[in-house]
Amino acid sequence: MKYSKLELSVGIFVLLGISAIAYLTIKLGTGSIIGGDTYQIEARFNNAGGLHPGSNVLLSGVTVGRVEAVRMEPTDYTAIVTLRLRSALRLPTDSMASIKTTGLIGDKFVALSPGADDKYFTPGSRITLTESAVDLESLIGKMAFGSVDKQKDNQEKDAKSNP
Amino acid sequence: MKSHLLPSLVFLLLLPFLAKAADDAAQTRLKAAVDEVVGIAKNAKDRTQLINDEKAPLAKILNFQIMTRRAIGPGWRQFTAAQQTEAVNLFTTLILRTYTAKFTPGVTPSVIFKSTATPEPGREEISTLSDYKGSNYDVIYRMEQNQGQWEITDVVIEGVSLVANYRAQFDGQFKQGGVDAVLKALQKSVAETK
Repeated sequence: MKYSKLELSVGIFVLLGISAIAYLTIKLGTGSIIGGDTYQIEARFNNAGGLHPGSNVLLSGVTVGRVEAVRMEPTDYTAIVTLRLRSALRLPTDSMASIKTTGLIGDKFVALSPGADDKYFTPGSRITLTESAVDLESLIGKMAFGSVDKQKDNQEKDAKSNP
Repeated sequence: MKSHLLPSLVFLLLLPFLAKAADDAAQTRLKAAVDEVVGIAKNAKDRTQLINDEKAPLAKILNFQIMTRRAIGPGWRQFTAAQQTEAVNLFTTLILRTYTAKFTPGVTPSVIFKSTATPEPGREEISTLSDYKGSNYDVIYRMEQNQGQWEITDVVIEGVSLVANYRAQFDGQFKQGGVDAVLKALQKSVAETK
């Protein structure tokens, strides 16, 4: 009887430990733990470029929050990104949000750049002055191959010069 | 209760039409400005005439007060009224010279208006495809309504915002050397575009 009580206590302790590890794994995995009081705001992008929940939100290179959710607005097919920011951070209403990449092929993150307005975003507000993820492949493609029209123009010029 | 309900219902029913009217007004104003700018580029005989003639229509549609404030960012609040005026004048000259320098007399760009979005009331984003000298560029014009007039407050070319691009530079200057550093950087940039 004595042994079974001890075994039960150990069992409960182990279960609690496993639960704590599982909770921390999930929370740290999605990056949703940030200390202190927080609030949510949204940002509207034309292209979220594969940004995912848990991505960092940086201001002046300092992590000030996390991406909580990314969804599509069905009315105009834009990407709405929910950001969880530290309460101490007050953002003027003309602040901008940009989706950037760490290095050339690194993780995506949201960079905030505060504006100069006297009014500040309140919880639940939406940042509409945004820069979407730059499509590097398409830019490289345009530089490398030019546009179809350019090729057409060149062909026309060649035809005129060599009738 | 009924007396409050009816106007609310009528307003809700009219809301999509009001938004559509705002879309149309912003796009009509932008189209008129683009036509004027393209017409000047087409008829200009030389670069000097082109640059001089383009300034007036561009200054009419672009809101340089808002653009300068946003381009400078949080440091703007530290500027005195006189410094703010000087910054707006310098930024206006910089943008007009940079923009007009891209035009070649006689060569006209074609602009296709693709779509209009309303991210929030009083603000429109007009997506266009500009074809100039054989290259296509995705250009989004961000327009805002100020005192009933639609004006451009930012231009996003191939995903890069003009205001964000300048803000990243001016904010760095401000953090290093304050207001004087920003004004010096603006003066230097303007001198380089002469």
